[in-house]
Amino acid sequence: MIELQGTLETRNPIPFSGRFIGDLHFTHKDVPILIIGHHILYGKVVTLEKPYGILVKDAEVTDRAPGAGQTSYTIRAVIRKKLLFKTRPKPIIANVPKKV
Amino acid sequence: MEIVNKRTLDEIDSVLEFAKLGRDEIKSVTQSIYFSEQLDSEGIKLLELDTAVLTALENGERVIIRGDKEDSAVLCTESETFEVKLGEVSNALLIVPDMTLGSELTDTLLPSIQYQQVNSVMHTFYELRKMKPRLQKLRSLLEENPYAGQAAEGDVDHQGTKYTFNELLNLVQGSEREIKIALEKMQAIVIDGYWRVLDFDFLVQVMSHLLQLCDENSWLDQGIPIQECLSVLQDIFPRTVIEHVLKNFADKITPATGKDDDEKHMQIDIDYYRLNEDKVCRFFAEQILKHARKFNLSQFLSTWEKSVPDGMKTSVSQLEGIALIDRDSNPEVISYMTVDTLPEEISERFNHLFRIREKWSLPEITPYIKDLTTDKMDVTAMLTKSFKNTQYWFSSGNGLGDCFCNLKDFDAIVLI
Repeated sequence: MIELQGTLETRNPIPFSGRFIGDLHFTHKDVPILIIGHHILYGKVVTLEKPYGILVKDAEVTDRAPGAGQTSYTIRAVIRKKLLFKTRPKPIIANVPKKV
Repeated sequence: MEIVNKRTLDEIDSVLEFAKLGRDEIKSVTQSIYFSEQLDSEGIKLLELDTAVLTALENGERVIIRGDKEDSAVLCTESETFEVKLGEVSNALLIVPDMTLGSELTDTLLPSIQYQQVNSVMHTFYELRKMKPRLQKLRSLLEENPYAGQAAEGDVDHQGTKYTFNELLNLVQGSEREIKIALEKMQAIVIDGYWRVLDFDFLVQVMSHLLQLCDENSWLDQGIPIQECLSVLQDIFPRTVIEHVLKNFADKITPATGKDDDEKHMQIDIDYYRLNEDKVCRFFAEQILKHARKFNLSQFLSTWEKSVPDGMKTSVSQLEGIALIDRDSNPEVISYMTVDTLPEEISERFNHLFRIREKWSLPEITPYIKDLTTDKMDVTAMLTKSFKNTQYWFSSGNGLGDCFCNLKDFDAIVLI
């Protein structure tokens, strides 16, 4: 999981399907760095006090099967750590001429 | 994974240059993150997992979310109950299933790219808060059709719904274990696969037959030989009912060995029960109190004394949790009040109690609130918490015996 402070461009995700977000790097000390657009974000690895379970609804059980009419969820994954990023205004100038 | 316009190392390098981040400062693997083509933030839910719940899941236990449409959702493991609440975050939570942490990256000689996808962007999650199960419904369900004997089962008053354990599980917001404990406390019994509570008057009948039999056979002293007792009574009442009554009103005893007096010596290989004086006397008190609800205390005490079986002694301590004694009134009165019908929620419980009576001493109020205690909150903590913000007046009169709260020196609380 990546947690981003502030809204950034993730406010309306639907038109962004398939779109590129950013590059994730790690320093040699395992500090995560995320470069999104004009921002460079420094983050940290946080172990969650209470892990998150990702619940996905199971398909509806047909009438004849046992347990019919019951809704069930499967926990697809348990998230125990996240990368938490805070923005640090650091402009990336896009048209710096390439060094010859 | 279909990604159009895959990012190249050149593109990554130029951004690094602009960002003034040197390749020597970072590990060789870069993860380029994209929104998935099938971005779906509605199809999954995030659930914060308490340790107990996580352990239950890891052990393969059933974890169920229960509640009728009108109830708020409750999550149950096999032994605990949690309230489910929706939490919102202002931050965006991006779910990236295959993301690798820095510590897990194997450093390669040459820079490389891993392509990652964000499957969902979440702004809400569900959190769990441990709570006491909502058990009042259990009692009201079982009281829809109390058991009053086989003969009565067919009659007009006994056509109410009967519930099996699984049916109760679906309707009551609590874990299996907590519900089982509650059923025992309620002295419920399984008859023909259904959980039932015994109709009080029916119970009175069973008890009086049992006591008569004990009297005829001098079993009150010696103990009740269970098989013999069952063989006599099972013509009148179902075996399960008699066993249930013995279990709730008597204690199993092991026969003494090597006694001198052979006459009184119980046979070693027979199971015996001895009626529990406190439980039986309490039962007789309930019989009297249920009829008139409020009594002159001294009249009650003498009637009660006379009603119990010979050889048994009554004591006011046996009335804890079923009767309220008012010693301030003239004459002193006693009224019927059980904890079972009181509100389950703490502030509602206190409101109810203080509407009934203005002043309570600690020993008077304890039986009516101790069912709400948890491992984190005992009676004293509950009182302090509930009265912290209210004006209260402490009386230091001698009142009803030695009841000193260990926080402050008071023995009565008045809500103004």
